[in-house]
Amino acid sequence: MLIGIFLILIHWLFVFLLAPLFVGLVVKVKAFFAGKKGPSVFQPYFDLVKLSRKQCIYSQTTSWVFRAAPVVALASVFVVSLEIPLGILKAPLQFSGDILLLAYLLALSRFFMIASALDTGLSLEGAGASREAFFSCLSELALFMNFITLACLTQSISLSEMIGVNILIPWNLDPVLLLVVASFFIVLLAENCRIPVDDPDTHLELTMIHEVMILDHSGVDLAYMHYASAVKLFLFSGILVMILIIPFQTGNPVKDMLIFLTGMLGLAVLVGVIESSMARLRLNRVRNLLLIAFALAFFGFVITIWRG
Amino acid sequence: MKNIFQLPWQVPFGEISFKVDPLSLLFLICIFILVACSGIYAAGYLQPYKGKKPLGAHIFFYCLLVLALVVIVTANNVILFLGAWETMSIAVYFLIIFDDEQASVRRAGFLYLAMAHCGTFLLFIMFFLLSHAAGSMNFDLISRVNLSPVLAGTVFILALFGFGVKAGFLPVHIWLPHAHPAAPAHVSALLSGVAIKIGIYGICRVLWMVGVFPDWCGYMLLMTGVVSGIMGVLYALGQHELKQLLAYHSIENIGIIALGLGVGLLGRSYALPLLATIGFAGGLLHVLNHSIFKGLLFLGAGSVIQKTHTGQLDQLGGLAKSMPITSALFLVGALAICGLPLFNGFISEFIIFFGLFQGLLTLPLAGMVACVLGILFLALMGALALACFTKVYGTVFLGKLRKELVLSIRREASPLMIAPMLVLAGLCIWIGFVPKYAVNLVILAGEYLSHVAASSINFSGILVSLSMVNNGFFIFLVLVLFLIFLRRHLLKKTPVLVISRLETWSCGFSQVTSRFQYTSSSFAHSILDFVKNILFLRRHGGRVKGDFPLPTQMHSLVRDAAEDFVFRPLFSRLAILSKKIDDGRIRYTQIYLMYIFLFLIFLLVWKMR
Repeated sequence: MLIGIFLILIHWLFVFLLAPLFVGLVVKVKAFFAGKKGPSVFQPYFDLVKLSRKQCIYSQTTSWVFRAAPVVALASVFVVSLEIPLGILKAPLQFSGDILLLAYLLALSRFFMIASALDTGLSLEGAGASREAFFSCLSELALFMNFITLACLTQSISLSEMIGVNILIPWNLDPVLLLVVASFFIVLLAENCRIPVDDPDTHLELTMIHEVMILDHSGVDLAYMHYASAVKLFLFSGILVMILIIPFQTGNPVKDMLIFLTGMLGLAVLVGVIESSMARLRLNRVRNLLLIAFALAFFGFVITIWRG
Repeated sequence: MKNIFQLPWQVPFGEISFKVDPLSLLFLICIFILVACSGIYAAGYLQPYKGKKPLGAHIFFYCLLVLALVVIVTANNVILFLGAWETMSIAVYFLIIFDDEQASVRRAGFLYLAMAHCGTFLLFIMFFLLSHAAGSMNFDLISRVNLSPVLAGTVFILALFGFGVKAGFLPVHIWLPHAHPAAPAHVSALLSGVAIKIGIYGICRVLWMVGVFPDWCGYMLLMTGVVSGIMGVLYALGQHELKQLLAYHSIENIGIIALGLGVGLLGRSYALPLLATIGFAGGLLHVLNHSIFKGLLFLGAGSVIQKTHTGQLDQLGGLAKSMPITSALFLVGALAICGLPLFNGFISEFIIFFGLFQGLLTLPLAGMVACVLGILFLALMGALALACFTKVYGTVFLGKLRKELVLSIRREASPLMIAPMLVLAGLCIWIGFVPKYAVNLVILAGEYLSHVAASSINFSGILVSLSMVNNGFFIFLVLVLFLIFLRRHLLKKTPVLVISRLETWSCGFSQVTSRFQYTSSSFAHSILDFVKNILFLRRHGGRVKGDFPLPTQMHSLVRDAAEDFVFRPLFSRLAILSKKIDDGRIRYTQIYLMYIFLFLIFLLVWKMR
């Protein structure tokens, strides 16, 4: 019991400390590509501290749901983090079917985010909420197709086994894993509202999804929201990196952890490069992108079946 | 058997024979919970009608319905079952037409009655086939005969359509979205929570009675579930009226239940007892859960409609401030119906998902593909249900009131209406956090349906998972409390906590009105537009013309394909045909007397032979 709590706290500490750094790295890469010096990689931490010291302002239109949303969003991503192995840190909460709890906890936070956006009574936030509801349907479909393919591949429905030791087939150029990785990467970009699905930098445009939904949050509420989205990005990247680093496992905990962190760094750079080199897609193209993600994972499934 | 109560009865082939088995037990629990809650709610809801309407008749039919429901789920004899079935149909009809001064209510009631009898007709044929094969009308005796695959398949199809009319499977669901909004709230709750589940009970009873079905039956049940579920939620998303939306959502949930039962049946066909039991248990737990949260939602909708006199989503808004308790309880129901963690809906969807994944890993190829479809569509249903209920909750309870309504009393609903909702919301949370009792109950029923000896299967896998889910819930709760505490603490440090009496900042524009809000139609539009070819989405007007556009109007409508393209043409053709027959017949009484005479002679000759 005590050991369990200790492991949970270690896991949380790891996520808590490194998640904003990941966002900072992405921003740094983008600044580099723009030919700027850019803010320090620790800027997200400073922002969070600054926000948590500020006062909150609420519109009189809003109700308690608006205030509950940041708490629920942050709490659910932290519970989700317990189901994901990160480097040598094993997932403290792993069981058969934990992928379902993962997907539905994210849905719980999404419910509150959408509700809080609608609570402001403004069409900007309503538009963001509507898009979030639509795109999440498609990305959920792609996410579950990935889970199905991995489940068939590993004969397991526990995330720790699906992205870890149970993948016994040789990784090198295996088409299934390549397809899953490609598909999951698109899901990662969409779920975390990165370019080419959504632009995390600007605030006040009608074409936004996530940023426009938190437009009216302020102070500690906004800090919670930012933290939640940083953690979510970190966790999705963690899943992807865990699949990618399977062939490089050495068995030495220090080396493995370094490999994992290098992988995370590489992914942050990749996300930054994509954000610098691409424009956001037109909104009605986003659904095509998400359907491509679904199709990629589906092909992975077909190959798995065909191989027997 | 010890749990059978039997009495002789004068009706041919009939006997008064009651039996309570794990299956009846589960449905009895659903019935009793919801009947009690709706009954108490009715006491508050019917207050304004006192002296204006004959409430005595209404209450009589309510009690008659309860009696019929209890007899149906405990009957152990075909005649008794069908008698109670008809009593239920008629009692429900009289309950639906409570507001019978409105033509639309009378039409909805008649549509229900007509559909119910079409279904019952199929049930007569089905029970005739079964009793004929068994030579008895007793359920226990019927369950002992082995049917040929063709006969079993026929029975399955008849049961699927016959009971499906009551349950609301696509495409025979068409009475449901008319009847639910027409009925008063407590009746809608009972209809959606219990009456349509009786259709599911009937299917379960047939699954129990006929031990061996051909393989395709499992696939068919699963696919029926997928189609009903996905179309139900898409139709729901396109609705503009609160109770109609909830009615379509019942179709979705019936689909989820059928999905679970389909997995169970596949498991039974392929001799995988663990899969069979998990599938059946998941489906049955969703029966219990759905009757709790859908009852809660209909009661909440009733409170809203009673206070505002409208169910049109785009006229409501901001009720969280005038009805805080109702809105909080409605939120519990909305979260539960989306299958979100912490509530009971998650537990049953988890078990069904677990069964589907189990099927994915154990079934042969065809079963695998079916399970993949099941998983994908169940996930999609979850996401769409989330879109649908954020739409409902966001437009009805959050934001600002869209239209100045004459609120009869700007106050919370009466305590008599809140108390039963409180009980139902409590049950949602209780089953979410302490699923042990409910899960044990449905596993018992699942084993009973999969015809395996109790305790011969090892359920530790799913039980361990459920307890881990539970741990996750508690960690979540602790975290939420911690974060709330931290937030309080941080806000205390700031100089002043200003909650300004200000409107939402809208980029400097100061004349913000309630018409700035996203309406429910525009919220759902992006999804509906994506599937407009399946939904036959129709838009009228809304185009802006010229440089100085004049005010314009727009309305959109989702057409129910089954109703508009199948049943309406079918029934109108039938009406024309019967008119023709009616025109062509000879209108002399003597001719009819001759027909009767000839028929009697035919019967005599047939008997003498």
